[in-house]
Amino acid sequence: MIHHRRQSMMIRRFTILALATVLAQGAAWAEMNHNHVSETSCEDTALRCASKVTPVFGPDGTLWLAWMAGGQIMTASSRDGGRTLSEPVQVTQGKPDLDWGPDARPKIALDTKGNIAVAFSTFRDKAFNGEVFYSRSADGGKTFASPRPITDNNQSQRFEALGFDRDGTLFAAWLDKRNRVPAAKAGRQYDGAALFFATSKDGGTSFTQDSLAADSTCECCRLGLAFDPSGHPVVAFRNIFEGSIRDHAIVTFNDQGRPGEVHRISEDDWQIAACPHQGPSLSIGQDGTYHVVWYTNGKKRKGLFYARSKDGGKTFSEPLPVGEPGKGPSRPYVLTGAFATAIVWKEFDGERTSVKLMTSTDGGATWSIPTTILSTADASDHPLLISDGERYYLSWMTKADGYILQPIKAVP
Amino acid sequence: MKRNLIATILLLAALPAVSASDSAMMSFQRGSWRQLLHSHAGRPMLVHFWGVTCGPCKVELPQLGEFMKQHPAIQVVTIDADLVPNSDTAALAMLRSAGLSLAENWMFSDGFADRLRYEIDPAWQGEIPRTLLIAADGNITTIEGSAEPSVLEKWSVEQRTK
Repeated sequence: MIHHRRQSMMIRRFTILALATVLAQGAAWAEMNHNHVSETSCEDTALRCASKVTPVFGPDGTLWLAWMAGGQIMTASSRDGGRTLSEPVQVTQGKPDLDWGPDARPKIALDTKGNIAVAFSTFRDKAFNGEVFYSRSADGGKTFASPRPITDNNQSQRFEALGFDRDGTLFAAWLDKRNRVPAAKAGRQYDGAALFFATSKDGGTSFTQDSLAADSTCECCRLGLAFDPSGHPVVAFRNIFEGSIRDHAIVTFNDQGRPGEVHRISEDDWQIAACPHQGPSLSIGQDGTYHVVWYTNGKKRKGLFYARSKDGGKTFSEPLPVGEPGKGPSRPYVLTGAFATAIVWKEFDGERTSVKLMTSTDGGATWSIPTTILSTADASDHPLLISDGERYYLSWMTKADGYILQPIKAVP
Repeated sequence: MKRNLIATILLLAALPAVSASDSAMMSFQRGSWRQLLHSHAGRPMLVHFWGVTCGPCKVELPQLGEFMKQHPAIQVVTIDADLVPNSDTAALAMLRSAGLSLAENWMFSDGFADRLRYEIDPAWQGEIPRTLLIAADGNITTIEGSAEPSVLEKWSVEQRTK
């Protein structure tokens, strides 16, 4: 078990440097957040101060991290599974007002040529309208281009998702509130947001004109993005169905890069005029099976659920409850690979948050008994899973125990 | 730590009188929920969880302000439990314009908000708006999402006849 409670000398040395250089920024960040007790153990841009950490393995097995700390988006890499980190590089410039909501996090993706694409959301005004920015490094993460807005529309965008397909096209999707403008002009009520997308053929240097994939989605939940075996992007999202029902839906893009039909993942019947701030997670196997996990508090079912689709997202299996109902299971994440499918989630007993794990070796038909793999006594990020092609790892940022990257023994 | 201590002292000083103030929000910490229930026991109370970044809350807050005006016998308590925590300045401005500055106004003040929610309702994952209608006998009715004014009205009538 690798527990990186104490970071390497390299990171500590950097922390001192970072303290000196970003003291002003850190102070501004702390001041902005003075009204709530911090979710983090420190206020500078070091990894140990991060509230959210997003990991990804590059094609050569290098671990890349993007994190949010001290009001900035930072990146660094590790060639030894997170034991030592390269000197962090700041992606953001100035003092961005980063989206710090529970389902926001920086995104990072690598193509086979070594291009590194990053995206993140900011609040553009005091009304909490959002703006999605992207940046790119073409020199192995040494420098990043000045972040640019992903769309020139100036309404509100948040909850971006980012990934390279196998041909190297970069796909981005996000939730966008622009359609409230024509609705207001027509005197219509407009609830929620819309799913918009754009692609980049030049490794994230520029994006195509953005397009609508689905209207009337929930406006405050993360997206689940994965690619099917043919390389088509697939997005799972919390939709708003007729009657203000905030259940989950999925859309698969076609060969022309256009969104296909929107299908419902599950009829949970969660009618609520509120922001759940809990989006789904999606992973697609080499056999084309879609695996989805989500949270609902609907009339029909409450809690975390798993379902799979063997027909490209048209129909889904009966939802399988995940986690212990009395312990508020939350923040599920699913990852499928050649040998196993794994789900992690959080449970809370009033004092400690545990990360639970269950696995399936038959494509999601049957599951192991859930086990606790880690726990922490203070605030924590969502638990995430990544794979280097050989092993699965849990990636978890905690306030009390720092950043943890831990191989999962139960999964080959 | 020191700030917490000062906040706690201020809180304890404010509690016996439950004096509403329009210049500050009370700091909601571990144990606050039990204190709150205890200090208002025996009286009907409406507890509203909301947040500055919550869209439906913007619509509902002025309705609650009107409810408070019309129902002086019911204690109205607001608790800012925004999942995107932010400044009390913005929250106070919204409470004022909604006519709620004289309600008992609290704000979540714990970087580990899960444990605050757990004390209130272990099943609650933080969705707001959320309203708890607490009768004099302690019976709690939970309304997820926006509360219809007609539902609040019906409940308040029931409290009078009890």
